[in-house]
Amino acid sequence: MREVKLFLGPQHPGMHGNYSVHMYVDGDIIKKARPMPGMLHRGFEKLMERRTWMGNLALIPRICVPEPDTNEMVYAMGIEALADIEVPERAHWIRMIILELARITSHIMSFGGIGGPTGLYTATYLGIALRDEILDVFERITGARVYHMYIVPGGVRKDLPENAEEDIERLMKIIEERLEELKELILENPMIHARIKDNIMLPAEVVWELGVTGIGMRTAVNKVNDLRKVKPYARYDQVEFDVPVASYSDGFTRVKTKYLEIHQSIRIIRQVFKKMPKEGSVRAQISTGNALKWKVPAGQVYTAVESTRGEYGYFIVSDGKKMPYRIAVRGASFPQGLLGIEKYLVGHRIDDASLWMDTMGVCSPEIDR
Amino acid sequence: MNSMNKIIDYLKETYEIKSVKSPMDMQFHFETEKKLVHSILGDLKSKGFKQLSLITAVDWIEENEFQLTYILFNWDNGIHAILNTRLDRDNPKFTTILPIFPGAEYYERDVHEFFGIEFKGNEKSFKPLFLEMWDELPPLRKDFDPQAFSDKTFPKMEYTTQFLTDVGGVNNEGS
Repeated sequence: MREVKLFLGPQHPGMHGNYSVHMYVDGDIIKKARPMPGMLHRGFEKLMERRTWMGNLALIPRICVPEPDTNEMVYAMGIEALADIEVPERAHWIRMIILELARITSHIMSFGGIGGPTGLYTATYLGIALRDEILDVFERITGARVYHMYIVPGGVRKDLPENAEEDIERLMKIIEERLEELKELILENPMIHARIKDNIMLPAEVVWELGVTGIGMRTAVNKVNDLRKVKPYARYDQVEFDVPVASYSDGFTRVKTKYLEIHQSIRIIRQVFKKMPKEGSVRAQISTGNALKWKVPAGQVYTAVESTRGEYGYFIVSDGKKMPYRIAVRGASFPQGLLGIEKYLVGHRIDDASLWMDTMGVCSPEIDR
Repeated sequence: MNSMNKIIDYLKETYEIKSVKSPMDMQFHFETEKKLVHSILGDLKSKGFKQLSLITAVDWIEENEFQLTYILFNWDNGIHAILNTRLDRDNPKFTTILPIFPGAEYYERDVHEFFGIEFKGNEKSFKPLFLEMWDELPPLRKDFDPQAFSDKTFPKMEYTTQFLTDVGGVNNEGS
């Protein structure tokens, strides 16, 4: 049979962001796949070299749309390491609240998002509606819904508002309640089982070959390879939480792991409120004078945090001037989003392609940068 | 910390490495000659640094050199090893590390596209990736000026405002 060239994306319900895959198919089976990134390339790395250290705070969250706060955290951690800044104790705990809320937001969107490629749109809508509840809380804490610019070098921009604990506890209860509904809809749905159980496999050797991290890695190698445990930042070493692992990484296991991780994030947030200092400074003074003219001492550092898709890192180079000399971004889904598609999408059916993208956690804005 | 010192001592004893720095806990940066890069990467991989997190470059234009950076991670002890080497900026060529880390394919392609560094042995790295029909200098080089490029590519246009003043038979002028 003659091979036909088909396009998946850039506009497709199963695609997360503007991203495209050119597939050469024979019948239903994909014979060759070529990732076509670049549609979301906005030149962040170059832009960052032309803005001040503090000016970049408005830019960086936009690199990854579903989980922007990881950008703020790696950037702040990098600058704090270079400039030797001590972050106040309370700020560490507030950062954890923000990071875990962002984690839940991203996980809920992609957990419900499995409805996109499977035609179960109810799940997608429920996921997005639940995400909106979290964005409301983000708005009350940071003043912004999606891009918060809240974690800054030296701590966080301002203290939590009054009643933050009650607000977040109310939110946690809503999430727990609606998550059960989503679980029933997705994880106990025979249609979803038929599509992603024992399908879209990710063997451990492929994980090491590509360099996949995050849920993909943990469900394949059966190890707690989570930066929050292996290399704790903020105060993750002082809270108790489990990291779900498995030794069989099919699409279903990865989707289920997202559900389990949301519960662990809720567990972390509740502990944070119990353990954090009730008062104190939330931002160390990093300079005297105009913050926009602040210079970061020369040096190089690599900082990484655990995002929902895996290791998310910045390689920061300073030459001691007002602007960064170079910042390289390690998008967590770079390995599975490019080489993974080229090598391992082959052999799947056409309708599995978008499931592959979804369950592997491919996020195009962070690949394109 | 102890395990990090151990691996640093081992590298110092075995290879010619210089300027070892540790800007934060569980992370060390070191520089080496480019002829040693492949041996060290292979050696580190066998010692548990199984994950290649990133390959990137820095354009040190005043020194007329590129810094090529390989970031490895060891999940067993949480250590990041960051290997730097320098390439001549006028002839930026290096050999691929695909036989050691197959996952390097797209990182090398990315570095080629944004810095113009060629990786011998990775033929696909010469293909365009993110930038479509790009025939300018590689954009992350310091001598590429995005403002000048923008001015050249998108000529300044003068816009004149012509607001509708009469909509649906109602004169909105001055309202």
